[in-house]
Amino acid sequence: MNKFFTKKLSIISFIFIPIIFMWHPNWLGFLGFQPYWPLFWLLPWSMIHGSINGLIFGLFLGLILDSLTLNESLTHIPGLIFCGFLFGRIKLHSDILLGHFRYGLICSFGSFLCGTIYFLQIFFRNFSDSNSLILMTSFKNILAEVFLTGLFAPFICSQLLRMFKFSRRRIQ
Amino acid sequence: MLGIRRISTSRWWHKKKNWQIFVIFLFLVFVRISKGAFYKDLYFFISKPFWPGQFQKEIVLNSVNQEYFIKLNLLKKDNIRLRQILSLQESSNGENILAAIISRKTGSWWRQIILNKGSNDGVEIGDIVIGPGGLLGIVKNTSLFTSSVTLITSPESKLGVWVDRVQTSGLLVGLGDDYPSLILYSKDADIQVGDFVSSSPASTLLPPNIPIGIVHSIDETLKSKKTAQISLLANPHVIDWVQILKVNI
Repeated sequence: MNKFFTKKLSIISFIFIPIIFMWHPNWLGFLGFQPYWPLFWLLPWSMIHGSINGLIFGLFLGLILDSLTLNESLTHIPGLIFCGFLFGRIKLHSDILLGHFRYGLICSFGSFLCGTIYFLQIFFRNFSDSNSLILMTSFKNILAEVFLTGLFAPFICSQLLRMFKFSRRRIQ
Repeated sequence: MLGIRRISTSRWWHKKKNWQIFVIFLFLVFVRISKGAFYKDLYFFISKPFWPGQFQKEIVLNSVNQEYFIKLNLLKKDNIRLRQILSLQESSNGENILAAIISRKTGSWWRQIILNKGSNDGVEIGDIVIGPGGLLGIVKNTSLFTSSVTLITSPESKLGVWVDRVQTSGLLVGLGDDYPSLILYSKDADIQVGDFVSSSPASTLLPPNIPIGIVHSIDETLKSKKTAQISLLANPHVIDWVQILKVNI
């Protein structure tokens, strides 16, 4: 049983992403905003398994999150695929402290990327209606999400990275 | 040299009694100018122990509540009768389902809630969800035991609404923040801060006269239309229980 958990640690943690995305714990947020949770899992996964794996799991995450959100014409997939691919190109750093801050910075950038792609979808979809009105709100949403993702990433990503490495070593 | 002869050494201001009368006179002038404020304030403190107590207040409030409740029921019946005569859309027929919020996403762009009642309990896509205060959103998706509701603050939400004071209809668009935007396609519409917004009688999605919100601020910078931010009466951040209304439009 213990061996099974050790082997499947990354997949088990993968299941928790949609749960936490749905749960939306307010006490971990700020003014109702939340960090972009899927990036915390995608970054360590892609760093260990490479770009192609990152891309595939970005797609999987996107599909799951799209099924949980009601916006039928808007999708998480492009942002997450791009982030998965990009994160796979990043090499692991030997300096632990520097590594922590790097996770924060990379996740912030990823969150900015995903937020901007999502915003562009809303922007082009509502092109005729209320473009000027949605600009300020979107800017605020992206900024809050980038800040929170960057704040939590060093704690969560380094733990997950350690867990995934440990799990991989056991399998080998 | 003429010596000034003093008739008496006594003057009126030397007498204490005169000063007393003068002080009383000044006090009465003050009382006159203040329109008896002093007496009234004094009476306030003296009569305080004999005021109608909390118990009496509760009885009166209870009676007032009962009166309002009876009036509300009579008005509802009148409303239904008149709507039937005029062949207008009917409000909900009273089939309400009480549900608890089990997931709440009220930040960022994904503004939705998930309720613990689904198709098994009779919830259907298009049913409307109201909380204490007014409209929260529309059921967009149902599973066997849950239903997902798009909040009116979501960028996906677009509803026809009615501003009662100016008798104008407009479009309520969610922007992904707590204040959805009311768009009036007439520059002359005389809306003001504090105007009450309800669901439109012409809406094809909602029953009429459901309270939505109050005009929070007005933006007149656009050339062809007027926009206003709406402060919602029902706050989705804190509500835990909602009602699902079946729509008969």
